[in-house]
Amino acid sequence: MCSDSEIAYLAWLASSKVPAEILKRLLISFRTGESIYKAVKSDNQQILEFVPVSVLNALRNSANPDLICRMDHLVLQYAIHAMTMHDPRFPTILQEITDPVSILFYQGSPECLSRRAISMVGSRRASYSGLKAAHQIAQDLSMEGIAIVSGFAYGIDTASHQGCLEGRSPTIAVMGCGLDQNYPAGNEGLRKQVIDSGGILLSEYAPGEKPLPGHFPYRNRIIAALGEAVILVEAKIRSGSLRTVDHALEQGKEVFVYPGDPTSPFFEGNHQLLRDGGHYFSKALDILEDMNWLDKNQSEVQNSGCSISTDGMSPEEEKILRLLIPGELSFDQLAAQSAVSPSDLLSILTILQIRGAVEPLPGKKYQIKQ
Amino acid sequence: MNEMMAKTLSFGVNGVIGFPVHVEVFAANGLPMMEIIGLPDTSVRESRDRVNAAIINCGRQGDPRRITINLAPADMKKEGPSFDLPIAVGVMMAIGTLHPVRERDPEKTAFFGELSLDGMIQPVNGVLPMVISAKENGVKDIVLPAENAREAACIEGLRIIPVSYLGEVTDYLEGKKEIVPQEQIPYETLQRESIFPVDMAQIKGQAAARRALEVAAAGGHNLIMIGVPGSGKTMLARSVPGILPPLTFEEALETTRIHSISGRLPSGSGLMVTRPFCAPHHSASVASLVGGGSDAKPGEVSLAHNGVLFLDELPEFSRNALEALRQPLEDGIVSVSRVKRQAQYQSSFMLIAAMNPCPCGYYGSSRRHCRCTPQEIRHYLDRVSGPLLDRIDIQIEVDSVPIEEINSQSPAESSAVVASRVSAARMIQQERYKDTNHFCNAQLSSNEIRRFCELSTEAQRLLHMAVDSMHMSMRAYNRILKVARTIADLAGEEHIATVHIAEAIQYRELDQKYWR
Repeated sequence: MCSDSEIAYLAWLASSKVPAEILKRLLISFRTGESIYKAVKSDNQQILEFVPVSVLNALRNSANPDLICRMDHLVLQYAIHAMTMHDPRFPTILQEITDPVSILFYQGSPECLSRRAISMVGSRRASYSGLKAAHQIAQDLSMEGIAIVSGFAYGIDTASHQGCLEGRSPTIAVMGCGLDQNYPAGNEGLRKQVIDSGGILLSEYAPGEKPLPGHFPYRNRIIAALGEAVILVEAKIRSGSLRTVDHALEQGKEVFVYPGDPTSPFFEGNHQLLRDGGHYFSKALDILEDMNWLDKNQSEVQNSGCSISTDGMSPEEEKILRLLIPGELSFDQLAAQSAVSPSDLLSILTILQIRGAVEPLPGKKYQIKQ
Repeated sequence: MNEMMAKTLSFGVNGVIGFPVHVEVFAANGLPMMEIIGLPDTSVRESRDRVNAAIINCGRQGDPRRITINLAPADMKKEGPSFDLPIAVGVMMAIGTLHPVRERDPEKTAFFGELSLDGMIQPVNGVLPMVISAKENGVKDIVLPAENAREAACIEGLRIIPVSYLGEVTDYLEGKKEIVPQEQIPYETLQRESIFPVDMAQIKGQAAARRALEVAAAGGHNLIMIGVPGSGKTMLARSVPGILPPLTFEEALETTRIHSISGRLPSGSGLMVTRPFCAPHHSASVASLVGGGSDAKPGEVSLAHNGVLFLDELPEFSRNALEALRQPLEDGIVSVSRVKRQAQYQSSFMLIAAMNPCPCGYYGSSRRHCRCTPQEIRHYLDRVSGPLLDRIDIQIEVDSVPIEEINSQSPAESSAVVASRVSAARMIQQERYKDTNHFCNAQLSSNEIRRFCELSTEAQRLLHMAVDSMHMSMRAYNRILKVARTIADLAGEEHIATVHIAEAIQYRELDQKYWR
């Protein structure tokens, strides 16, 4: 673990926008941020071997005690830690990708980085069914002890983190801004939950760095790298999520695509990717199977549990449930197809809901609970 | 010339209560002038110019005199142009150009009416409360503008003389002309003529919403609808007055009084026989909603008395306006206090609110893409405060009806059929609550809920399971019981059964989806 002052030096280094490859070489030969700082300050000639003059000038300009002091302050105030690739807990994969990562700032427990992990990506403004699916998949994987990596944005990211927390595995959030930034503003509570449950918030950006639009697609390479596979939950045809998928493919990762409703514009990107050879899956079990993470006996048990149980249901309840098997239906459609009076239908739906067989969707629609 | 004194009778309005006003006219020798005293407001003071012109135009002017007009009691404020006619009659008597026959004594006849300069008589506001007050004060004959005659015609035992110009009044008073009194219109006749703007038969699809409205009407429950734009929320709300039980005569009087004083009665209309439907725009101010202004006028909540107050785009209303609704929702009455005036108005109405699920309107819609962030949606929903939401028993979601459904010819149930079921359920409630001061399930307090909404063990178990599995609050629990009571009443059953509870739970679904 780095000392607070070392974190401040690393923050200076990260904030001065040294190209990734150069930063990697600098840190390999100088080892610490402090020694790089001193080398820059004292015009050490050795540094010119690694750094072009333009970059060195930028470093010189930003290397002042005021900035270090300010960083020190932020680091203390927000309990931000940092690690470099010399740290044994640093995920080595991040050194092997294009634009390698050499410094990571974090809040929470870096131990969880050694767990088996899967990345989940998807739209910020997601459909209700996409959010539900993300939550469910994340929760199921999490219950198998798999950590979920995602980008902490609204929508699918948030649903994935939440699902993971509910399945009691730690979750890994890769941010596109400094860890002192409260972004996105509504996720403050989630932030605390992530840390409290043994998860980690990561960023390659120095404290004080704003959530600029350019940061997000760039940090997606980290999201792709940290998971052993990437799950695309929901993407429209031109979407940042598909950029993460590109990173994953470049890094040789498996890409799983949630099928979604083929008629919905929300899932256009998914279906495009499926046509292009993405892995189809419908539930968490499929992923475990394809990744060979399944014990033999487990798969047999799971396979038998797929049909809908209608034990102890009245004939009418069963009738409604059967109508819902092909897919979601609105209340009016259910009423028309079942010929049950609205008042009776309402009460049947309540009972099915309480039994956990059916769930309501926005827009007065119902579907079988997965 | 001798000094002359004349008296006529009229009525004024304070709040919704009428009071007698004695118009005293004194014509003295001196510089020609006309002065009105007795706390007149501007419109009353301007009366002298209208009266002068009208008298000249019907050829009854006399010699110029010094005229003083007193409106007694002198300590009550007098408002509005309805004193034009009694003043004109008094002035003509005082200057000696009008000599009423004995049996048509202007001192025992009440006059209302605004004069135009050419002597025509214009309709005025607040006729109903004034006529009621006239009857209470033992006045039999009432001369009023022809357009207001129907409004007064519902009160028994009066001789209503409709007039349309000043000359007609003078001829009538002097016995030169007979005017056929307005026939009394029995309340039942009016009711038979009632028309509702939207009949439930016109509403296609929306089975769940129709049922929810029926339950809401049967128990007097407030209701909120959430749905995408164009899903028919407004049309559904407009159908509600048609399924509520018909207004009783007393209710009709109460409601018409309020509409009468605020000038909202269409000219020539009589007693209101349909329940009012008020839909203020969301830019409405606090004063326009609950009443106010320097003269403490009634607001929309009082205009909706015995009817429906429909607030479309609920979150767009100002926070203050929504908070101000809490007292009338709770007590069924508003006290409007202003420096110069205090008034109490009844305001027991059924609240129907409608809103979109998010600022752009399409959250959860499968047809269009919602552009809002979770943050924006939260802010939008948070504009509806918890305490207001607490007073709304039924929450439903309304989705737009597919085009095939709109074109389908399958006839829907008409309002009349639904209304008969609602009336039956209301009868059961009135019988049950005859010892209390309630008349419908929505008014039950939490103690009374325990007394009147007993559950079978099985129903109890279901409710507990629901509260548990759907993470419901205690307040949701009480609302479910009340609504279940109404559903049981609609079914004509004495005990609340499992199915009733199960249906009632569906009317809390928004708690789960939106206000978690």
